Amino acid sequence: MESTREYARAAAILALATALALPFRGRINTIDVAMLYLLAVVAVATLSRRGPALLACVLAIAAFDYVFVPPYYTLDVHDADYLFTFGVMFVVALLMTGLTGRIREQAREASERQRRTAALYELDQELAGAATQAEVVSIAESHIGRAGGGAARFVLPESDLAGSAEPSWPSDGVFESIPVRVAAAWVHQSGKVGGLGTAHCGEAEALLCPVRSGGRRFGVVALLPQPADRALLAEEAQTAEALAGHMAVVLERVALHEQHEAARAEVEAERLRTSLLSSLSHDLRTPLGTIEGAASSLLASGLPEEAGGLSLEARRELADTIVEESRRMTRLVSNLLDMVRVETGSLAVKKSWQPIEEVLGVTLIRLEEGLRSHPVEIHLPPDLPLVPIDEVLVEQVFVNLLENAARYTPPGTPLDVTAWQDAGAVVVEVADRGPGLPAEDKELVFRKFYRAGATSGGSAGGGAGLGLTICRGIVTAHGGRIWAEPRAGGGTAFRFTLPLDGGPPEPVPADAADA
Amino acid sequence: MTPAPAVVLLIEDDVSMRRFLRTALRAHAWRVIEAATAREGLAQAAGRNPDVILLDLGLPDGDGLDVAPRLRRSTRAPIIVISARGREQDKVAALDLGADDYLTKPFGVPELLARMRVALRHASRPADAPEAPVFEAGQVRVDLVRRRVYRAGDEIHLTPTEYRLLATMIRHAGRVATHRQLLEEVWGANYVGQTHYLRVYMAQLRHKLEPDPARPRLLATEPGVGYRLREG
Repeated sequence: MESTREYARAAAILALATALALPFRGRINTIDVAMLYLLAVVAVATLSRRGPALLACVLAIAAFDYVFVPPYYTLDVHDADYLFTFGVMFVVALLMTGLTGRIREQAREASERQRRTAALYELDQELAGAATQAEVVSIAESHIGRAGGGAARFVLPESDLAGSAEPSWPSDGVFESIPVRVAAAWVHQSGKVGGLGTAHCGEAEALLCPVRSGGRRFGVVALLPQPADRALLAEEAQTAEALAGHMAVVLERVALHEQHEAARAEVEAERLRTSLLSSLSHDLRTPLGTIEGAASSLLASGLPEEAGGLSLEARRELADTIVEESRRMTRLVSNLLDMVRVETGSLAVKKSWQPIEEVLGVTLIRLEEGLRSHPVEIHLPPDLPLVPIDEVLVEQVFVNLLENAARYTPPGTPLDVTAWQDAGAVVVEVADRGPGLPAEDKELVFRKFYRAGATSGGSAGGGAGLGLTICRGIVTAHGGRIWAEPRAGGGTAFRFTLPLDGGPPEPVPADAADA
Repeated sequence: MTPAPAVVLLIEDDVSMRRFLRTALRAHAWRVIEAATAREGLAQAAGRNPDVILLDLGLPDGDGLDVAPRLRRSTRAPIIVISARGREQDKVAALDLGADDYLTKPFGVPELLARMRVALRHASRPADAPEAPVFEAGQVRVDLVRRRVYRAGDEIHLTPTEYRLLATMIRHAGRVATHRQLLEEVWGANYVGQTHYLRVYMAQLRHKLEPDPARPRLLATEPGVGYRLREG
């Protein structure tokens, strides 16, 4: 199509030159007419490729001879001088054609280079934000597809698939064809471009570019032209290859980064495990040691007091210690069990609609002794709606928050429990008047085994650093959110939301009549 | 002549737990029969006629849930279920299937003895015997004949449902009453799913009877299970 039009255009330009010169025939020098034809040939060569330009050369000489060289309207030449003119004209036209052709070619190459650079630049820009190999692959695929005028897929040939859990070979359409797979394997091995339009495996429907950087082979990019029966342009193939090369560099960078991150996470996990183990063994052994010591003293206390035995008071003291330490162990163990439930996702939430007041009441009674030195004020609006919660779990949230507040604030400072309704949820706040939480601890306190202000090994205030983590697990399982914030006037406020979802319960029927 | 000691059947697989309970209960003048398995426990219950049964829910040879109703078929002795925290559903199931009360591990001996006393008292009263005409706990006095309720000497006005709920709690005094039992007795068998009715009315009762409704002393909540009217 394109070339036919170019030949037609060449003929039209020559016809135009002839038409322009014809009125002046016999009045101007024939050599000037030859110049006009040369101009026309240069024009054609500038606009078109070599073929049409050559046609223009031949047409120019033929037209010149036929129309302007006497005798007119024959190809006969009576004056031998004209043969020389024709020869010079032809050589000049040829040279012009070659020159303009080369200039055109250079300009085209320059613009092609620019386009490729632009494509690389664009790809680079977008890849800068990619953090995982999967992201790199999906960005690069779309860029290569666009630059190559088709669809691109990153594939990992079978030879490298062993041990990889992910099926990397796309199972759709032509990417699955045997020639493409064979070509991909060859390209992957050789590191050279292959497939459609190349010397290797040219029968494949797609062009395959290796994705490798340094010694590392990542895979192969398959570029399928669209529509599928079209041949790829040379520049499309070159751009695709360049982009595939760049993709490999970025993949390598990301892979290194991922390795580095994994190593760091491993170290961090190891550190956590070690500190967890040491703090756990400390927290478990201490009460056990105390219990064993106190109990064996009691066992050996059979002697009367005068003979070195224990006084009644001392025995009571020992028994008290045993009870106390056992309770501490019980708390720790049930915290650990709750933690396991939260972490393994086996937290079964059995919701039913109920007043917050009831759950809070259970907690306050249960913690009565522990909260003796911290007066708790309750602020519940009378119109607070029922909330859909698992009371056993939410009780644990209250217990942990209140125990925590009592542990980290000076005796005598008050605690406030407040609740209100806010946009489809009930918000509950447990607030203290303690020293406040440093901003950097706001999130950290919810981390497993984190103890605010604790040095390693010591158990600040006797907590295992699990309470708030469990709270977060339970609140999250209810579809809510828990966070800490500084309290106006000093202290810390822990707030959590309990969404009012699932449709409100049937209204409670009012009593018909009085007693 | 001292009365014959009451007999408790202890069905528990853990040796240390049995040893501790045996010692503590004997010290309080109970005669203790022991069983380490459900099978043995069922046989003992049928043959030895215990006054109270302590049943651990985690027996090796049988689901405690399964054991409670089978015990109930062979004896009228009250059953107190013992289980760990976090197994509320099991407790509720055991209670709804014939157990009389429950105790969560770990527990203290005074608590256990109190539960056993209450269980004995409820068991010794025939089902059709008239209730005591007046119930008193703390500042609250309920005249069950005239249907009058007083707090610190002042008469408190209750709605009919509130009164029915309070009267039902009094019938269970000292013992746990599950949500299901209360809903069934106060609202009827069709309402056993409407737990929130119960919670709303319980809150109303507390606001009328408790000095501090946010810290209920008389109408205690047993989370995930039900309520208990405290007598002490």
